[in-house]
Amino acid sequence: MASSPDAGSSAGATPESSGAREGGSVPEVPESPGRRGRVRLRRAAVMAVPATAVAAGLMILTAQGALGVQFAISGMPFTVTATNLDGEGFAQFGALDQMAEGSPNEGDTGGQVLVVVSAIKKATLTKLCQSVDLGGTNLLITAGQGSQKVSATNLTTDSTELSGNAAFDNIEIGNDASTLDKSHARGPKGVFSQQADTVHIANLRQTNYATTAAVFKLPGLKLRFSDRGC
Amino acid sequence: MTAFRRWRAARPFWGGLLLALGGAEILLTQKASLKVVLHIGAQGLAGYLLPVLMLICGLLILFNPAQRLFYSICGVLVSLGTWLTSNLGGFLIGLLLGVTGSCLAFGWLPDQEPRPARSWRRGRVPAARP
Repeated sequence: MASSPDAGSSAGATPESSGAREGGSVPEVPESPGRRGRVRLRRAAVMAVPATAVAAGLMILTAQGALGVQFAISGMPFTVTATNLDGEGFAQFGALDQMAEGSPNEGDTGGQVLVVVSAIKKATLTKLCQSVDLGGTNLLITAGQGSQKVSATNLTTDSTELSGNAAFDNIEIGNDASTLDKSHARGPKGVFSQQADTVHIANLRQTNYATTAAVFKLPGLKLRFSDRGC
Repeated sequence: MTAFRRWRAARPFWGGLLLALGGAEILLTQKASLKVVLHIGAQGLAGYLLPVLMLICGLLILFNPAQRLFYSICGVLVSLGTWLTSNLGGFLIGLLLGVTGSCLAFGWLPDQEPRPARSWRRGRVPAARP
């Protein structure tokens, strides 16, 4: 019947054919030419109204810093800046990120990229700005502009560039990366690493190559598109 | 074409499609290496679990529309959850797609009287064919 040239009359003539096949979603009533499934606005509103309210509530709670949100981004150039970062439980080590085999970005690197993994157990940041380049436009996330600070737990970043004025307490330099114990992350055996009890970085700027994954509390959250990144 | 239109008319097509697309968009925004996510623990894995559930709910709405109420309620809850677990719901885009899709699927009813405009267009379609 699908190949019938006249859709309207054939549907009316064979009422059982489509109804039986659709597993009960189509009622047994004979299908007349114009009858088809449709969205009833009032029914949709029964769900849309509370869903919108909950979504708005989540956004407000996040903007007040009451709810934490998680990030896990990679594969895109991703910049993080902050005027101040204070952290407890800091560890840093080198690692190799392996590209997919035959990746066009391989060049003469053999498909491996050296990244610095920084792990901070508990961090507070002021004036956080985070931008993702979407090609042509940047998605900009800012938070912690006011008196309340952004806080993050288990912050882990793989970055190629890291700049800022840093100060450490109780730093141990030259550990084997597999013996790190002050933060939540541990590196591979035989790799240079350093760790510290606390860290303070002013004018932080990070270009993250691969990964960030953490729980963020973002008071004063603003999400917008912009021509310029951070 | 007629077969596709008939198939589409028998299920909440746009609802399921938008919900599945929302899940796919969120997954695209978080291609973080699984090794680091495992460091973060079970919470980090939830960031992947929720958009996958969105994708599955969207596809099930398309291919098993009889259970659309259950799938759409699951879909809307999971979509809202991605705000917390998955990059602010794929930077808001995936969350909006998911919630819109779930609402469309929830509000969909089979076998409705045609709208006046629809019946006018329908009347024209057979005439336009050779």
